[in-house]
Amino acid sequence: MRGVTKRFPGVVANDDVSFEVARGEVHALLGENGAGKTTLMNVLTGLYRPDEGKIEVGGRPVELHSPRDAIAAGIGMVHQHFRLVETLTVAENIALADRQAPFLLRGREAELQVELTAEALHMPVDPGAKIWQLSVGEQQRVEIMKAVRSGSRVLILDEPTAVLTPQEAQALFRTLRVMAAEGHSVVVITHKLHEVMEVADRVTVLRGGRSIATVRTSEVTRNELASLMVGRDVEPERRREPGEIGEVVLEARGLSARGDRGVDALRDVSFSVRAGEVLGVAGVAGNGQRELAEVLTGLRPASAGVVEVDGKRLRDGDPRAAIRAGVAHVPEDRLRTGVAPSLSIASNVVLKSYRGEVSRGPFLLLRRIAARAAELIRRYDVRGAGPHAPARLLSGGNLQKVVLAREFSSRPKALVVAAPTRGLDVGAIETVHGYLRDAAAEGVAVLLVSEDLDELLTLADRIVVMYEGAIVGEVDARAASVEEIGLLMAGVA
Amino acid sequence: MNDGIVVVVLAAAVAYGTPLLFAALGELLAERSGVLNLGVEGMMLMGAVIGFLCVQHVGGSAGVALPIAVGAAAVAGGGCALILAFLVVTLRANQIVSGLALTIFAGAAGLSSYIGNDFELADDPARFSFEPLNALGLGDLPVLGPVVFEQTWLVYASWLAVAAVAFYLWRTRPGLNVRAVGESPAAADAMGIDVTRYRYLHTVAGGALAGIGGACFSLALTPQWVDGLTAGAGWIAIALVIFAFWRPDLCLVGAYVFGGLSALPLILQARGVTIAPQLFQALPYVMTILVLVLVSTGTARRRLGAPAALGIPYVREER
Amino acid sequence: MTRPSVRIERRLVQRRWLPVVVPIGSLVVAFGAIAVVLLVTGHAPLPTFRRLFDAAFVADGALTNTLISATPLAFTGLAAAVAFRMRLFNIGAEGQLYFGAIGAAGIALLLAGQSAWLIIPAMIVAGAALGAAWGAIPGVLRAFAHTNEIITSLMLNYVAALVLNYLIFDSLSYWRDTSATGQLFPQGKTLPDAATWPTFTLGSVTVPFGFVVAIVVAAVVWVLYTRTRFGFETQVIGDSPRAARYAGMRTRRKIVAVLCLSGAIAGIGGASQDGDFRHVLDARGLQQANYGYTGIVVAALARYNPFATVLVAFLLGGLENAGYTLQGADFPSGLVGMMQGIILFAMLGGELLVRYRVVIERSGSLGAAEATT
Repeated sequence: MRGVTKRFPGVVANDDVSFEVARGEVHALLGENGAGKTTLMNVLTGLYRPDEGKIEVGGRPVELHSPRDAIAAGIGMVHQHFRLVETLTVAENIALADRQAPFLLRGREAELQVELTAEALHMPVDPGAKIWQLSVGEQQRVEIMKAVRSGSRVLILDEPTAVLTPQEAQALFRTLRVMAAEGHSVVVITHKLHEVMEVADRVTVLRGGRSIATVRTSEVTRNELASLMVGRDVEPERRREPGEIGEVVLEARGLSARGDRGVDALRDVSFSVRAGEVLGVAGVAGNGQRELAEVLTGLRPASAGVVEVDGKRLRDGDPRAAIRAGVAHVPEDRLRTGVAPSLSIASNVVLKSYRGEVSRGPFLLLRRIAARAAELIRRYDVRGAGPHAPARLLSGGNLQKVVLAREFSSRPKALVVAAPTRGLDVGAIETVHGYLRDAAAEGVAVLLVSEDLDELLTLADRIVVMYEGAIVGEVDARAASVEEIGLLMAGVA
Repeated sequence: MNDGIVVVVLAAAVAYGTPLLFAALGELLAERSGVLNLGVEGMMLMGAVIGFLCVQHVGGSAGVALPIAVGAAAVAGGGCALILAFLVVTLRANQIVSGLALTIFAGAAGLSSYIGNDFELADDPARFSFEPLNALGLGDLPVLGPVVFEQTWLVYASWLAVAAVAFYLWRTRPGLNVRAVGESPAAADAMGIDVTRYRYLHTVAGGALAGIGGACFSLALTPQWVDGLTAGAGWIAIALVIFAFWRPDLCLVGAYVFGGLSALPLILQARGVTIAPQLFQALPYVMTILVLVLVSTGTARRRLGAPAALGIPYVREER
Repeated sequence: MTRPSVRIERRLVQRRWLPVVVPIGSLVVAFGAIAVVLLVTGHAPLPTFRRLFDAAFVADGALTNTLISATPLAFTGLAAAVAFRMRLFNIGAEGQLYFGAIGAAGIALLLAGQSAWLIIPAMIVAGAALGAAWGAIPGVLRAFAHTNEIITSLMLNYVAALVLNYLIFDSLSYWRDTSATGQLFPQGKTLPDAATWPTFTLGSVTVPFGFVVAIVVAAVVWVLYTRTRFGFETQVIGDSPRAARYAGMRTRRKIVAVLCLSGAIAGIGGASQDGDFRHVLDARGLQQANYGYTGIVVAALARYNPFATVLVAFLLGGLENAGYTLQGADFPSGLVGMMQGIILFAMLGGELLVRYRVVIERSGSLGAAEATT
């Protein structure tokens, strides 16, 4: 790819980026969130058209107008958010990608072929299972097999280890090295430095939409890569000092709950969080953390167990009761759950408080709402739009500021935060962490659910690890090691 | 015994259910690709009126005029569907309002009525119409005789259509592709399937089948032209697809159930039985609601339910 | 080989003038297309437009007749608009209107002999109540069983029509005229004189009470939706049900409430049909009129704004009225439907330009020339 530029309204996602991969090579594309990695790869796979620049495969220039062209050119991608059809079976999904599949489908034969391919790649999976029945890790295997089956010589993986335990990630890297040895070109998009050093031959660093450098991993250190990625000398974030810890504010006893697929997502979970304390919840995504946050905030009913706030039992499955009890919630999916995207920022600011001082009887006091919004925007430095602009115009970081502003201004007793810095750039991450530190300092009991171990180790006092719906261990955040937590995350006692 | 009420009702159920079956199959194809076609009623009427027009004015014998009429009806229905496809796939308009707009445009106070008036089609009965056959000479068998072997060509064609659609959806590559398009256009697009083309093709095919369904009225059942001839059959077909869990074989069953229930009151009346016909007539609608409720609960939705992307336009670069 | 490609992109910035200019532009396009259709079918466009306009608004008694056509459309249009605020499609306004008519007629017959001051409000209340009840069914099914309200409300239209038929044609119900003529011709009992709704005379125009009620309803809905907590909640739920739940809103109750409100408005429309115009429970006439379905069109053209809905109802009522008046050998009834359809198509197509922009690229490998609209 040479000189590729891609613009979206309001932002230049890729600015004159050049990038190349050799046969039999594993090449990492490194950059923090928002640097333009996924956009670049979407251009390469035909999902986006570049505004400028050209692409060559095997020395020949190609024009990619659609994913079909990319697949024809031998480029296959495993997306971060899988592009699988949930109600079809594994074999059917792979058949969809198979360019040589015959007009008449043969069920049994297709399934056998899938089994063979799976074995060759050391990734067992049941070809007749429907996608919605599979675990996330298994779904990823199907995605990889799809890419292989479609005849791609270039395989791109977008943040592949986000949904894997450290040990599963190792298995994936082995598979990738095998594929490279067979002549495939593998591109791994990631923001994790240790992955780059482990699996890649070369790495290209993207920052702010530009390609900064391309180096061999054998010739560079992690710190050098970190500096390149961030653009300045990187200082690891200060660990949070322990603050004044008070009484137990939020307590869960014996919580169990059913997940979306009907199986138990939470099994007999018990813990407590005190005022001024930050309790971290670690674990690979999909082990019950999301369900835990939902039960605590009333978005999901519990099948057993009790939640207490300040000693008083919280009504099950009722978000309004949780809000009234002083439990604030910064949800994982900030755009779709945390705000009403098409409504104005002002409306979103009063999303939970519209029954209070900003209304008189059944009527809303619109001017007061606008004033409140303007004040919070100023105080939390929300940039990118005014109070009457729709919330979806805001960038991830600013959107999160709006959510935080709203939750804090309700003076909560407990704060449940899930994946607060996912998809944010370094500056926004620092800001969000700052607010969380402030909250704890002011005596709020903070429950921090995160997949980012660094984040947990920096901010939390204690960390509990969840595996398959249960808490499998608790550690002191200031004394624990990544290895220890990683083993717990993988279910090893 | 072939004059007994049960047999008569069954035979009528098949005859009356056939236009519903054609229209439902068409709607099924469109919905499988993710397009909710609410213009079926209009497409059926266009098929009915154009088919009738052809039969009145095309030269030749029945064997020539009738197939041409059916073909023309299909083209008419498909043409209307093309307008709908353009609106909802290319222009990304709201599918529900667009379908309603098409029904208003082409329906009982619109284009079909205009054509009927302009060519004075209401004045004469059809020159030719589809008559029931005595297939394989087996028309005298008990029960099966009238029900299976004494139907029109259109009925037998509808059975072929059911088999063809089922085979297409589950046993061919393009059929698999369209199922993917209806469930997850993003996934299908990423695998190189042309979502736009599939939606266009299936919507137009759906319209063509609806047109043939309409022709069943004007060329077989009535066989005359009256303004608004189909009397809501198009809407019933939409319900039928849900009732049939989006499966062609169940469409057949459902069409005959609905057909029977609508023929039943007339037959009972002819025999002097006076139960309020509305009770039977209401049954199909109530049953459809019940089925829909069943299909809509959580896990059932995944096993039995609608294509997940039904009704939502697809834009590739939404950010 | 490079070829020009056309791409559709979501607009990030909504220009102020778009929602105004585009509908007007669509109307112009629509009339252009209609003119073509008229030419093809052998009518001269401009004189035909002139005749339509006259018959709708200018001729003697035209405005009065237009209001007669417009009143039910205003009610069903408002009903659709009210529901759409929460992204609910109430296709059942047709059936809810029938039930409103049944309720209003029933109460009027029951209260025969009482004064109009009692009967008329009672008709409105009864119409609203039965319409609301019929609208509650798809509401409850949607709220508690996640059942798509489009199909359920559509099915219930047919059931409501069957109930109408039963009451008037196939039973000796309370609503049925059991006098001598009534035995021969099935028809409804005539409503008492006191059940005739008043009219207001503005110059040469007779404004039916129902139309005034519709305007009042539009105002109430507007205030409800823009200035109250209820309206705020419906807005949030319509935009993001997940966010609404997250914020502690009672989404299920609101869904039922909104569909009941929608049904109630349609029901008042049914009461208006009894009281303003027909003075009898007219099963056949109501079914032929298709007010409910046309109301959805009205609401869509008005972009679901309450006041615009009444205005569009007025305009479309004019078109319908003109269609009836001009009906004859040289102006077949089919033309009205075709014109309505073309206007709708143009508006729907124009919607695209409001939300998205069209980017035409003639791209080579070096740089791209963009033409954007």
